[in-house]
Amino acid sequence: MQGIVIPITMVPGNSTIHRMNPLPKLLWTLGILALSFSTRNIAVLGVACLIGLLLVFYSGITKAYVRVAMILFPISLTLITLQSIAPAFPRPWTAIVGFGPFTIYQEGIYSGISLLLRIMAMTTWAMVTIMTSHPSDIFTSLKKIGMPYVLNFIFVMTLQLIPILQSEFGIVLNAQKSRAMKGSGFGAILPSMVPVFVGAIERVQQLSISLESRAFGSSGKKTSFRQVRMAFSDYVALFLGFLVPGAATYWVIVDKSLDWSHSMVFSPAFSITLVLGATIGFLVFVFFAIRAALSA
Amino acid sequence: MSDKKPIIEFRGVTFWYGGANDKPAIKNINLKIHEGEYVALLGLNGAGKTTLQLCINGVIPNSIMGEFEGEVIVYGNDTYDTPVREMAKFVGMVFDNPEFQLSQMSVAEEIALGMESLGFSYDEMTKTITEVLEIVGLRGLEDRSPFGLSGGQQQRLSIASALAMRPKILVMDEPTSNVDPIGKEEIFAVAEQLNREKNMTVIMAEHEVEVMAAYADIVVVMHEGEILLNGTPEEVFSNVDLIHKLGLRMPQVTEYAHRLNQLNLASIEKPYPVTLDSAVERFKDIL
Amino acid sequence: MEPLIKVENLWHIYPVGNVTALRDVSLNINRGELIGVIGQNGSGKTTLVKHFVGLLKPTRGKVYIDGEDTAPLKVQQLAAKVGYVYQNPNHQLFARTVKAELEFGPTNLGLPEDEVAERVEQAIEFFGLEDLRDLHPYRIGFPLRKLVGMASIYTMKPDIFILDEPTTGQDNITTRKVYHLIEKLRDEGATVLCVAHDMILLAEVVERMLVLRDSELIMDGTPRQVFSNHEVMASTHITPPQITILSLRLRKDQQTLDDVVLSVDEMIELTKQSNTGKK
Repeated sequence: MQGIVIPITMVPGNSTIHRMNPLPKLLWTLGILALSFSTRNIAVLGVACLIGLLLVFYSGITKAYVRVAMILFPISLTLITLQSIAPAFPRPWTAIVGFGPFTIYQEGIYSGISLLLRIMAMTTWAMVTIMTSHPSDIFTSLKKIGMPYVLNFIFVMTLQLIPILQSEFGIVLNAQKSRAMKGSGFGAILPSMVPVFVGAIERVQQLSISLESRAFGSSGKKTSFRQVRMAFSDYVALFLGFLVPGAATYWVIVDKSLDWSHSMVFSPAFSITLVLGATIGFLVFVFFAIRAALSA
Repeated sequence: MSDKKPIIEFRGVTFWYGGANDKPAIKNINLKIHEGEYVALLGLNGAGKTTLQLCINGVIPNSIMGEFEGEVIVYGNDTYDTPVREMAKFVGMVFDNPEFQLSQMSVAEEIALGMESLGFSYDEMTKTITEVLEIVGLRGLEDRSPFGLSGGQQQRLSIASALAMRPKILVMDEPTSNVDPIGKEEIFAVAEQLNREKNMTVIMAEHEVEVMAAYADIVVVMHEGEILLNGTPEEVFSNVDLIHKLGLRMPQVTEYAHRLNQLNLASIEKPYPVTLDSAVERFKDIL
Repeated sequence: MEPLIKVENLWHIYPVGNVTALRDVSLNINRGELIGVIGQNGSGKTTLVKHFVGLLKPTRGKVYIDGEDTAPLKVQQLAAKVGYVYQNPNHQLFARTVKAELEFGPTNLGLPEDEVAERVEQAIEFFGLEDLRDLHPYRIGFPLRKLVGMASIYTMKPDIFILDEPTTGQDNITTRKVYHLIEKLRDEGATVLCVAHDMILLAEVVERMLVLRDSELIMDGTPRQVFSNHEVMASTHITPPQITILSLRLRKDQQTLDDVVLSVDEMIELTKQSNTGKK
């Protein structure tokens, strides 16, 4: 169980991006999100993706990124397989090649590739932000721009609770296995989940008394122990974070010539190779995932 | 001590949790505690120790619902109409499960949490964090995750988090029941040091009678919601028959002194010795 | 006679961080022994007993339970022989009633219904849970809940009981009850291992102690031997019972193992003997 879970948390480092205030990073990520949803243009999405990858490389989080991408990318490959035979695209569709009951469409390939790139662009940028910022700094920055104190606490607590509940689940599962419970199947759900939930409830109740005893939840002025500096460069990055993704988004919406869904033509050979490759890639991943799950 | 004004006073306090509990958890509690006292609360599970402790900072009756009668006055504040967060400046609480009191990403942030709520300045916070970590012996662990610490360290972190609000009273509910022997030693040492050096009033519920007999100035014995004994360890542990009847343990050396008397093996005058050192002194010629 | 638990040159190295948790531990435990396992958290004592349940497998060396190598066995297969009672009963209890909780283990073992029912009744009687039969395990207080945790293992009738801190957080009355139950388990023929810090339990109940420190088994002996070994006591931060220290301090000059007193009763006996000696 624990073996499969890959934590997406900060990778310590001292790159320029690490040292940046989280706010411009968050803004850039949001900007890229907006841009990615505003276009299907493969080149634009590809460039966004590529810049994201360069940032990954530059900030020294490549290893951690690859570990996450190894899971995310194969799953996203299904987009190509599914889209190619059933495009999320207005009809009419142009058939490229057919085999059996399935037909691969021109629009499908286009839509599959652009969706894949869209997902990779967004997640790459998001991971750069998450993996180069201390979670506390992200929360502190959000607090500064007006996120409620209590909401902030809930976020922090949830982040903490996930690994705790995971390890609790491991303990409970072992406890029940030593009562001869079969490790899997429907019958294992209640015995392994109930103690974890009851424990979590007890924890939260006790924590709330403890927090109240430490003046948490007082009304009045609050301060923040964690200090997140906004340097001049951060203001510049923040400004550019508004400007660049904003302008790009405006451009991709306005410029109709960026719609390449019909101008890009895929050959039957290319299409078949792509779809088969994506499908096989996904299946290989599933095979290894199941093997890992069984051995854990 | 009797001429001094008490800093904690329970006046006829009764509390029912309600619901399925047909009996009040504590009834008609009258208790005075003076500044700088180390008070041990002894009693079986369910005797009302925790309930009594939660009354000191007003969690009962302010946050835990039930039927409350009587008054609890702490440093002149009636807990009934003083918010718990105000009481945090007088009373620090430490509970039995070390992990269930922690929530933050680092030791420093854990300690800062309460101070942030009270609007302390950044400089005050960093200064206080260093200071309280020094007291509990956790300097250097500022950036560690609270959840990666040992049980004993976690409890000392909870003590530090409470101390950050600069309370005058430290209330501890079986703080050592979930930690190993080293952790126990550490926690008892910190409590003792705070009591001795900073004149902190300590109110500790514990099952470890030998330790309590050695450290506490006052021992309070509770049974079914009532206070049955209240006095110095020597006074309290001389009531051997009552303590036996309640099913409580007393220090082994005290038990030994009592048995010597009973069996006419020696004539030991009351008060019986309650600590190892006093017992060694009293029994040096017995074997 | 073949030992019930046989540990041969056991090493355990946790793959995460390459931490050596057990270093070359060898020991034998015979049927019917009542054993205390002590050491600080992180000394390796939990790692050791987890090998007996099959929750961990040796990195090097062998663990045999009743002559059988545990390496290829699953936890579920060992469950009929070895019962593990967790320190926190909340990690085990999930059912709607105490009775259902007690049925869980033997049902998993595939026993017929009437056999399960019989075992549940035996467990209820053994642990004195008559009034709790139909209550929700979470509705009963912590001390009794802990007994329910023990009872839920008892219904599986294992040869070996491993009790993790059976008395922590308990008051004196429940603690005494647990001591009595541990002795009763042994009298029924079970082998009991208590992983514990409770010194009274170790001094007055168990007959043999395994002391672990820094992943090694540093001592295997009777409580009298362990508690009178100053070096072991100091280096493991273990404080013997107060009465034991008293006896040691009063008799600094002439210490034989028999002079080490483990309970107030023994101290009284020793006083009587010394009184007769004086006369």
